[in-house]
Amino acid sequence: MLGFIKKDLLMIKSNWKFLTILFIVYIFMSFSNQMDISFILPFMSVMVMISTFSYDTLNKWDNYATALPNGRKNLVKAKYVATVFVIILITLLTTILSILISVFHHDPVNFNELLITIISSIFATLLVQFIMYPIIYKLGIEKARIAIFVLVFGLVIMGGIIINCFDLSFIGKYLNIISDYLIIIIILLTIIFYLISYYISLKIMMKKEY
Amino acid sequence: MNNILEVKNVNKSYDNFALKDISFSLPKGMIMGLIGENGAGKTTTIKIILNLIKKYQGNVQIFGLDNSQNEKEIKEDVGVVLDDSFFPDILTAKDINIIMKGIYQNWDSNLYNTYLTKFNLPNNKQIKNFSKGMRKKLEIATSLAHHPKLLILDEPTSGLDPVARSEIIDIFQEFIQNSECSILFSTHITSDLEHIADYITFINNGHIVLSETKDEILEQYALVKCRKDEFEKINKNDYLKYKKNVYDYEVLIANKNEFKKKYDIKVIDKITLDDLMVLMIKGEE
Repeated sequence: MLGFIKKDLLMIKSNWKFLTILFIVYIFMSFSNQMDISFILPFMSVMVMISTFSYDTLNKWDNYATALPNGRKNLVKAKYVATVFVIILITLLTTILSILISVFHHDPVNFNELLITIISSIFATLLVQFIMYPIIYKLGIEKARIAIFVLVFGLVIMGGIIINCFDLSFIGKYLNIISDYLIIIIILLTIIFYLISYYISLKIMMKKEY
Repeated sequence: MNNILEVKNVNKSYDNFALKDISFSLPKGMIMGLIGENGAGKTTTIKIILNLIKKYQGNVQIFGLDNSQNEKEIKEDVGVVLDDSFFPDILTAKDINIIMKGIYQNWDSNLYNTYLTKFNLPNNKQIKNFSKGMRKKLEIATSLAHHPKLLILDEPTSGLDPVARSEIIDIFQEFIQNSECSILFSTHITSDLEHIADYITFINNGHIVLSETKDEILEQYALVKCRKDEFEKINKNDYLKYKKNVYDYEVLIANKNEFKKKYDIKVIDKITLDDLMVLMIKGEE
């Protein structure tokens, strides 16, 4: 599987010029308070990984990979491992950046708040990616882009309707009760989503006909 | 186990195309050319052999093992070139070396680099900046560098100029020097096969027209060129197909010696695989 992970990471590395420019733009926007640092993580991570899917599709890599030893399984496994690797890397960068921004603005660094912001960001990002991956494996990247857009758009509208129509103050109460365990709960939920998404993607790939 | 590859009674149906009862076998130390026009079923057959297509009827054995039950074990010893799929083209030849080390147990970086040098392929250039021929050579170098016992190549020489094709053919001949190794090689450039193939399997419209040794084919089959009056004397059972030209008839026969004894027709030419393919596909019965 190592080879497949290296392939995704080398592809990301090949795009380093573009990613560096993007990161510099984000840094500039964050320093000038135009964008919250916690947005960088999901944007960068999703974009980086989606670009690997696009390049794979362009060169029909999945076809070729399936002809390699354990290709179907390792193809999927590597994508999920590479995603975690990318998240860790971008998290480290954003954490350092957040601290630097606070120092730059002479604000005290609130590590507790920072930790919750970053973990929530990771959770939200991975959640989006874990929903996306099975859809990409099932429909292909082109159709999946539309499906994901519709899905996210639908979820936002549904969320809006629910917030407007129902009294959700009880959620706040529950959040207060579990606040001490919030980080652990988020980590556990992330792992559960990771495993569910991985097994669905794997099942799709194992049955796929080329 | 004398056959490195055995395909038995393989059937696969699509809405507008079907592979029908495909059977052939490839002995050790031999090169088999899989020929047929575009859309005849060559790539589908190769995909079934490689388990890229899983739902089909029939049986495929490689190295005496079932291709789906022993997939990983088999693929460690199979080198592959597919028609239009490879590594993402933002990667370099150097990247492929790093990646493949983590995929094949027997990956040989030295051998890979030897092929890169032999083919004049740059290590640090992105594949997207390669010419079509360079890309094909890289695919072939990649397929050979883990010391496979079986090479399965879908159109490996398409897009190559005659010099590059000749280089590749030489590499295949070197590969086959090891009598344990075999090559299954689909192509529509049949002249390549006339140089190196031991067996020819001809697929047309999803079914096998013939699967024989190349020498048998070139020995037994022939192209008769005759006038209309001579053609009219030939019994329908004595030829396979014919083509009517402006001034003469081209007639495909399957038993040259018997034909010579039976008919007094002077022009009986040696057949090329191209003639055979064209007449079998386009000729009249």
